[in-house]
Amino acid sequence: MEYLALIYADEAAWERFSNEEREAAYEQYGEFSQAARDAGVLVGGEELGPTASATTVRVRDGRQLVTDGPYAEAKEALGGYFILDCASLDDALTWAARIPGASHGAVEVRQVYVDEGATT
Amino acid sequence: MKYALLVYSDQADWEGVDDDEAARRRAESMPRWLNLFEEMDRVDPHVAGKELVAATEAKVVRIVDGETIVTDGPFAETKEQIGGLFLTTLPDLDEAIRIASLVPAAEYGSLEVRPIVER
Repeated sequence: MEYLALIYADEAAWERFSNEEREAAYEQYGEFSQAARDAGVLVGGEELGPTASATTVRVRDGRQLVTDGPYAEAKEALGGYFILDCASLDDALTWAARIPGASHGAVEVRQVYVDEGATT
Repeated sequence: MKYALLVYSDQADWEGVDDDEAARRRAESMPRWLNLFEEMDRVDPHVAGKELVAATEAKVVRIVDGETIVTDGPFAETKEQIGGLFLTTLPDLDEAIRIASLVPAAEYGSLEVRPIVER
């Protein structure tokens, strides 16, 4: 079963980080990725650009409405995600707790929908 | 450039909807989804998409003082919740916006386009 782990963290704190602090954070994420890969759990993962680089798109009555910024402005913003292949939700939660963001932000765990008849 | 297209929609729209009605809604929007998949395939054959089960099933994990705290429900208390995402490589933001607006959920929800950080 695949689970999406959405990582929410304080963007302002990241902006204040020194280069050394950022490298240390990336190292922690690298260690997590390696552990998940070694365990055969890691399916994928990406770091998202800051919410300042987000664009929100809506279509209403056939008209395209494009606004700068994320869908929701919040102190803790979605900053990245991992896709984890785990035997159970409990396993996914255990792995999610090991994501560095769980220690200073929050990790939302969502099960990926499986459509038996899906072709895409 | 790699982009994440985050699909936000109001999942309350699906509360109390029986299987027949859900099937009818899916069938109704299917041509537009197929149109999207066809267009995505054309511009990026390696596009990856994930649909998520309802946000009401979400759990949030935090470590507080060394202890793992798990709470029910999604992280953000917003009306619309992430229901899926696409990861795609496209020439520029304009193209990402064009593709995002083809997602049927753009008509009743919101699509957030975020560039991916590549290190």
